[in-house]
Amino acid sequence: MPINNKSYHLIRKWGHVTHGKTRPDDNHWDDRFSPDGRGGTPGTRRGKDKDVRSNADGETAQPRRAAGRPRASESAHGSLAALLNLVRTGEATTRQELENQSELGRAVVTDRLATLLRLGLIEEGELGPAIGGRAPRHVRFRPRMGMILAAVLDHSSLAVGISDLSGRLLAEHHEAVELAAGPEPVVQRLATLFAWMLEEHGSEGGIWGIGLAVPGPVEKPDGQKLFAPALSAFQNWDGFPFVEQLAALVGAPVWARSGVQTMTMGELKSGSGVGLTDMIFVKLGRSISAGVISEGALHRGAQGAAGMIGYTFIEGGNLEAVAGSEALGREARQAAESGRSPYLAEALARAGEVTVTDAGHGAQLGDPFCIDLLGRCGRAVGEVLAPLANLLNPSLIVLGGNVAETGDILLAAVREAVYRQSHPVVTRDLRIVRSQMGGSAGLVGAAQVVAEALFEARFLQGWITLGSPREHPEFKDFLARAAFDTSARPAKPRPPGGPFA
Amino acid sequence: MAITGLGPHGERAVPANQVGLSDADADAARNRHFSVAVVLHTTMSDWAKEELAGIVATLGRYGAAVVEVIDCAFDIDRQISELRRLAGEPVDAVVSIPIGSSRAADAHRAISTAGKKLLLLDNAPTGMLPGKDYVSVISTDNFGLGQIGAELLAPHVAQGGKIGVLAYGVDFFATHEREIAFRKWMAAHRPDLSLVRGKFADVSQARSATADLLHTNPDLAGLFAVWDVPATGAAAAILDAGKTIPITTVDLGNDVAADLAGGGLIKGIAAQLPYDQGVAAGIATILGLLERQPPPWIALPGLGVTASNVVEAYQVVWRAPAPTALLKARKPRKNTA
Repeated sequence: MPINNKSYHLIRKWGHVTHGKTRPDDNHWDDRFSPDGRGGTPGTRRGKDKDVRSNADGETAQPRRAAGRPRASESAHGSLAALLNLVRTGEATTRQELENQSELGRAVVTDRLATLLRLGLIEEGELGPAIGGRAPRHVRFRPRMGMILAAVLDHSSLAVGISDLSGRLLAEHHEAVELAAGPEPVVQRLATLFAWMLEEHGSEGGIWGIGLAVPGPVEKPDGQKLFAPALSAFQNWDGFPFVEQLAALVGAPVWARSGVQTMTMGELKSGSGVGLTDMIFVKLGRSISAGVISEGALHRGAQGAAGMIGYTFIEGGNLEAVAGSEALGREARQAAESGRSPYLAEALARAGEVTVTDAGHGAQLGDPFCIDLLGRCGRAVGEVLAPLANLLNPSLIVLGGNVAETGDILLAAVREAVYRQSHPVVTRDLRIVRSQMGGSAGLVGAAQVVAEALFEARFLQGWITLGSPREHPEFKDFLARAAFDTSARPAKPRPPGGPFA
Repeated sequence: MAITGLGPHGERAVPANQVGLSDADADAARNRHFSVAVVLHTTMSDWAKEELAGIVATLGRYGAAVVEVIDCAFDIDRQISELRRLAGEPVDAVVSIPIGSSRAADAHRAISTAGKKLLLLDNAPTGMLPGKDYVSVISTDNFGLGQIGAELLAPHVAQGGKIGVLAYGVDFFATHEREIAFRKWMAAHRPDLSLVRGKFADVSQARSATADLLHTNPDLAGLFAVWDVPATGAAAAILDAGKTIPITTVDLGNDVAADLAGGGLIKGIAAQLPYDQGVAAGIATILGLLERQPPPWIALPGLGVTASNVVEAYQVVWRAPAPTALLKARKPRKNTA
C-alpha cells in the first residue's frame, strides 16, 4: 500500500514524544503493578467492584475471574483505574473524597495517587477550604497528557479534529473529498491532515486514540476483541483494512462508529443534550438515521446498526425516498423547471442547480412550493419519530443534517406530527430542536467516544500501569495482526489513470 | 470562480451575492435605527480599510449607525477586554474578526450572551456555534485562496524542487485553511516537489523566519506566504541572501502589487475582495438583527492575479485606478485587428 512517507514519519515521531518520561523507572517498579494484575494490596475494599466492572457498550466484557485471584478493585490496576476516573470526572478531587467515594483505605489512596502523579496522569492543584484541620489539596486530571484525533467521513466531505483527553476540540477542519477514488487516498489524506494538526496542537504525550465516524453502521467486533476489523461503510471499500492502516500509521488505537452515533454523542456532550440522559438525535441528510441515548448510554444494538429509521416504510416509499435530501432536491428541481416555484426557478437560472438548501431559503422567503415541500418532509419525519418517542420517552429530540438546517417550517411540522401521535406523558416535557453544532457534532462525538473508551474500566486497567494506551497488550496484538493481514492481502488491480497510476 | 472551501463546521458556502434583503426587510431595518460596533484586528491595512468601508456603507444604507470601530492592533488581550466592555454597551450587534481561535472564544461569546448579535469575519473560534453563539461567518474562500497560491507558484518551480510555506504561527482559521489548501494542491498536482515550513508569530518576524528557512534550506526554489505583509518581509530576506526565489501570496496590497507588476519576486497573488466582503457582512448583520437567519457560512471567491491582469484586478479589489507604477508596467495591448 503506498503510504505518504512524510506523514508516516511525522506521526510516528510525534506519536512517541516523551513517552519514556511517563513510564515509571523499571528499577523502582513495584511488583504489585505487574501487568497481570496480581498482588492485591491489604486494606482494599470491594465496594466499587460494580463500577469498575461496568461495561457501557458490551464490547469489552469483563473476563472471568480466576479462582483465588483478587477482584479488579483489589488489584493495583483496578484501584488505579477507579481513582483516576474519579479524579477525571471530577467526582472526587481530594484524598478524603477519594477515600469516601472509592471505599479504599487511606494508605492505598495515597500510594495510588503517588503512582498516578508519577505517571503524569494527574497533578496537584490548589488548596480547598479547610474544615476543622489542614486545608485539603485538590488533585486534578491532566487532559493534555495525550491527544485524541477525530475524523468524520461522509459521502462528499471529510472532517478532522484534535482534542485533549477531556474530548474538548482544539481545532477542526472540513474539506470536500471524492470518495470514489477508493480508500487509500482517504487514509493518506487523513494521515496528512493529522500530521499537520499535531504540529499545530501536539502535546507531550502524543496521540492516545483516534475516533472515526463513517456513514452507515459499524459492526461490533466479535467476542473479546476491542476493535472493529473492517468497515463496510462504502460499497467500493470491500474489506479494505482501513482501521488497521489508520491505526498502524498513527500508532494509536482506533474506535469506529457510525456517523449518526458520533453526532449523537457530540450533541449529548457539547450540544443541546448536555446534562440529559435520554435523547434521540436524527440525521436528516441524503440518508436518514437516528442515534439513541438511553439512560446516559449510547444504544448501538446487537450488530451496532441501531437507528436505521430511513428504511421505515411510509406513504410514498421509505422515509429516505420521501424526506432524504436527494428526494427533496429532485422535487425542488422539477418545481424550478416547471415554473411552479418562482424562487427555485430563479435559483436554477442563477446557479444551474437547486438543492434542499435553496428550498429552505425559498421557504423562509415565503415561496409556497418550498413551504409545502418542507412541511410534507417534516410531517413524514415526525410520523416515523412518534413511535420512537412513545417507545423510548426521550426528553429531547435533536434534528441535524442539511435537511434540518432548512429552517423552522420543517421543525414545526416534525413537532406537530410527534405531538399529535404521542402519549401526552411522553410529550409533556419533550423538546424538539434543531442541532446547532452542524458538522462539528460528529467530530466532537468521535473525540468523546475515544475519551470514554480510553478510560472505560477494563481498557484502562490494561494500560494504566504502562503509562499510555498505545502500550495496551491488546492494541499491540491488533497492530501485529493488522501488519500481517495487510502484508498478506493481495494487491487489488486498479484501472489505469487513478491517483496512484 | 467556484467556492471550494467548507465552513468552520463543514457548512457548504452560500455565495455572498445570493444573500440579500427584501424591500420589506430594508424598510423594517431603517425604522429600527440599529447601532453596531466593529472590532478589527487592525484598521491600518488596506484590507481592513476596504472591509470597514463596505460594512459602514451597507449599514448606513439600511439605517444602522456604526457607533464604534475598535482597532485591536493584533493584540488578542486587547480584543478580549474590548469585547467584554462592548457586551455592556448599548449596541445591537458586533461585527468582529477574532484574533486567534480558542482564546478569543469566551469573550466573543459574551456578546451573544448579552443578547447582542455577533457577526464574525473570516474565522469562528473553535467551539463557537452558529445560531447559538454567533449569526454568520462572512469570509473569502480561504481554502480557494491557498489553491490559487499553489496554482500560481507551480509553473515557476522546476521539477523536483523544494518549496516553502511561510505560515502564521497563531491559531487562526483563515491562514490555516490557506496553508492546508496550498499543501493539498501541491500534493495532488506537483507530487515531485518537497515542502518545508517556516513560521512567524508576528509579521515583524516574517523576514527573520524566511532567513532561517533559507539558511536551513539553501536549495529553496519557491515560497508561499499566507498573506501579503509577511510576503514583503520574505522577499526582503530572499534579496538579502542574494537569491531569486518566486513567491506567491494572498491579498493584493500595494507593495506586492507593485512587485508583481514590476517583475519582482512576487509571481502571483490570490486576492480577496474586502469591500464586497464588508457589504456581505453588513447585509448579514441586518438580516441577523431582523431575526431572518442568514446562512452560517457566507463566502466570496478569491481572484487569481498575475502580472498580466494586475491593473484590472487592482481596480476590482480597491475600486480605484491603479497607481502609475502598475500602469507603467502593464504590457501594451496586442493588436487583434
